[in-house]
Amino acid sequence: MNPSRCFIRYLTLPAMFLLMLSSLPAAQAGDLIEKGKTIAREGNGLPGSTACMECHRFHGGGMPSIASPRIAGQPQKYIEHEILGVKAGTRFAPVMAGVVNNLSRSDIRAVAAWYASVRTPKLRDVSPYDPKLVALGKRIALKGEWKKNVPACVLCHGPEGRGIPPHFPYIKGQNKGYLLQQLMSFAFLKRADDPQGLMRGIARRLSLQERKAVAEYFASLTPPPADGQPDTSPSGKETR
Amino acid sequence: MRHFLPLALVCLLGSLLPMAPIAAAQEPPSPVVFTPRPDSEIPAGPFGDLVRKGEKIFTQTGKYAGKYVGNDLTCESCHLDRGRKPYAAPLWGAYVSYPRFRTKNMKVSRLGERIQGCFRFSMNGVAPPLAGDTIRSIVAYSFWMSKGAPVGTPLVGTGMYHMPPTSHKPDPFNGKKVYKARCALCHGADGLGASSGGDVAFPPVWGPRSYNAGAGLAKVGKLAGFIKMNMPLSKGDTLSDRDAWDVAAYVDSQPRPADPRKKS
Ligand code: HEC
Ligand code: HEC
Repeated sequence: MNPSRCFIRYLTLPAMFLLMLSSLPAAQAGDLIEKGKTIAREGNGLPGSTACMECHRFHGGGMPSIASPRIAGQPQKYIEHEILGVKAGTRFAPVMAGVVNNLSRSDIRAVAAWYASVRTPKLRDVSPYDPKLVALGKRIALKGEWKKNVPACVLCHGPEGRGIPPHFPYIKGQNKGYLLQQLMSFAFLKRADDPQGLMRGIARRLSLQERKAVAEYFASLTPPPADGQPDTSPSGKETR
Repeated sequence: MRHFLPLALVCLLGSLLPMAPIAAAQEPPSPVVFTPRPDSEIPAGPFGDLVRKGEKIFTQTGKYAGKYVGNDLTCESCHLDRGRKPYAAPLWGAYVSYPRFRTKNMKVSRLGERIQGCFRFSMNGVAPPLAGDTIRSIVAYSFWMSKGAPVGTPLVGTGMYHMPPTSHKPDPFNGKKVYKARCALCHGADGLGASSGGDVAFPPVWGPRSYNAGAGLAKVGKLAGFIKMNMPLSKGDTLSDRDAWDVAAYVDSQPRPADPRKKS
């Protein structure tokens, strides 16, 4: 038997299979989002499961009153990474841990796909923004505090803090309680899932007042339409 | 070499002025740490306006001097903290070191000519005219930043960091591993940087939109010194010397625009 023909025959099957697969992704992404949507609304059906929307809302606006973050439009990869971090214990989040513990790998991918795909307006924050803190925060955000080796926040979180997908989340328009809580967690090493410890280093070098100030500044902005998207509203553009 | 000229000046002055302390001529003066004045002290009026314009060009070069720029970098991409950071060739250090002899073109260069060089090579663009607004504003920005800096005394952190000589040959294979572990997060595995909503966010470290082969950073030693003190961003001085050499060798082995002096 001709060995090369035999080889070709072995190749055709996988090739056909690959061809079939290539027509799948669009439909699959839709299914994934549908599944995520259900988990967000109802949990994954296992006993004791909790719906994500109880804290993050169905459309991902979060709950400023309990410092639960806005997650609508964050990169899918980032959301997945954070849920995995909570599960693995590298990100300290006692409430969240109880909820995500029984999510499977594919459940996680699905909820991440859902929240990455939704859009929702900003919710009212817990209190008005303090102009003094906003001004200090703006300076650190746009210019950095280099004498403590803190670069401008926008270098890694994108212009105005609109995110640099897929690793760097948007922070503009996030609620202030959550932002401050995370800076404190990084500073005191309770959140240790940041690549290369970049945020742990930066948060630790900022004073409490400076952490409050940057939280206040980014919270005072409007959220981007989606991660990494420029804001088209007149107040959206902050230049250095 | 870097400290030779200022030192020579001190010696010269020392011999000219009999009142000057003799010790200055005998022992090298110890380096001084210099901090530029805060922004709030930039004066109102035409001089202040020129300084502020210089800063805008420096931090948003494509927007304010676009016709002289041929890539995705800004001056600040390499001269961190708006040209203030020690060991990232700060502008306050530059102002007090020119005019100076440069082997690159075998002549005594003025600061304006040095800035033209960065436009041509680091920004892969064209040199703005010396008497034009662009160079004048950046020189004014640099002048303002150096206010109060002692002349003739070595300052800590001028220029780039000089790597101590090494016996090992920089190894781009190990460099690639270091790159993947410590750099790709921001500059991308493909070295092309990252964008955010259509704007350049992380600058490319190689490829058609990065510095060209005639730039200072295209020399492995210079790049290693820059990386050692400044990269990963906010984690300067965490790579070993060896890793800094190797990752520099890897980055500089990648394709980038040709040296314009070698194009026919
Ligand atoms: C790709 C990186 C890069 C970019 C972008 C860049 N430079 Fe430079 N620049 C360097 C390096 C490297 C040196 C040499 C420092 C040394 O030799 O110690 C340098 C030197 C200088 C110096 C002299 C500093 C000294 O102490 O001698 C000035 C002034 C300067 N650059 C201005 C600019 C301006 C203005 C721009 C923007 C138009 C710019 N540079 C863009 C890398 C860069
Ligand atoms: C956390 C993100 C981050 C990491 C990690 C990082 N860089 Fe950078 N790098 C930056 C940013 C941001 C700039 C531009 C700074 C500015 O504009 O103020 C930069 C600038 C540079 C530049 C000069 C500009 C250019 O594009 O040529 C080089 C070279 C560079 N980095 C190399 C490296 C190397 C090598 C590593 C790994 C050892 C590394 N960087 C790790 C964020 C990072």
